[in-house]
Amino acid sequence: MKNYILFFSLIMQFYACARLDLVPATADTIMAEVQQNKGTYAVLLNIWATSCAPCVAEFPAIVELGDSNSKLDVLFVSTDFLEHKKKVIQFLLQHGVVGKSFIKSQKDQAFINGLHPDWSGALPFTILFAKNSGNVVDYWEGSQPEIRFKTAIERALKL
Amino acid sequence: MKIKFTLIFMLICSSLFSKELELGSTLPMGDHRLIDISGNYLSLNEARDKNGLLVIFSCNTCPWVLRWEDRYVSLAKQYTPKGIGVIAVNSNENNFDSVDNLDEMRKHAKENNYNFPYVQDFGSRLAREFGATRTPHIFLFNGDNTLVYRGAIDDNAKDARKVDEPFLANAIDAMLVGKPIAVASTKALGCGIKFK
Repeated sequence: MKNYILFFSLIMQFYACARLDLVPATADTIMAEVQQNKGTYAVLLNIWATSCAPCVAEFPAIVELGDSNSKLDVLFVSTDFLEHKKKVIQFLLQHGVVGKSFIKSQKDQAFINGLHPDWSGALPFTILFAKNSGNVVDYWEGSQPEIRFKTAIERALKL
Repeated sequence: MKIKFTLIFMLICSSLFSKELELGSTLPMGDHRLIDISGNYLSLNEARDKNGLLVIFSCNTCPWVLRWEDRYVSLAKQYTPKGIGVIAVNSNENNFDSVDNLDEMRKHAKENNYNFPYVQDFGSRLAREFGATRTPHIFLFNGDNTLVYRGAIDDNAKDARKVDEPFLANAIDAMLVGKPIAVASTKALGCGIKFK
């Protein structure tokens, strides 16, 4: 009986970890989450939208980068309108994203400046934070070749 | 060697961030010829009027454009009679053979009752010169061809009736009466311009 309870609780824990949690968030909430990783994980923050073709095109490769780097935490931030939350969840699940993801719940200007003052608001936008210092290592607007991601990740893991 | 290469690569990549035209700049590329959906060539100098020029970097399919473009029309209706020229510029050169071709632009303008010229920017030269990065991205010049406002239309893409801060209308109103523009630079989300 004891074994069954243990097995059941392990299964429950597995599902709790594996489930997707899409959290409406401001820039402050997201940056606080990023800083929680300091000292343990480098962070790749990708700001995207389901309606943004270049965001959707680069999405699977970013998921793959997260899956193949045990010391990299990939955080996706959707800028879809909140009423499209279901569509966002569906997209994330289709691409095998689990754990915490964010959806913007703040007016544009405060959100953009809160994530990075150099960001103009164009999508997609990506920021890499260093594992040890938590500082910004690199950031860019628009799509970039995979080598750009890999180079930035390599640096973020070292710093 | 590897580190050096990486640093050079990152420096080059960082320079890909276009610098947004500074407030106070003179209208760039005023005589540059752009092809309008009417089939005629048009320059920014021809599009401007005696009290200024509103340049809107836009396109046919971006969801933010689709949400905001009702305001292009109402702003043009309100301010064209007050001597402000309005022009929408499509710089998505990467889509000029598909969703942003001239035929699609004509169709889009007709369906959305555009009451201003809508032009193609070959080579995205205008977008690069302005440092425009997204659609919509706004640049407002006064009657002396000086940039006085840049950025967003307002603070609510979704619903014109729920706008708290009509940034652009406020800027135009202040400009027309010769008052300083309180908020002259703003930001909003948008689709990245599809440069080639």
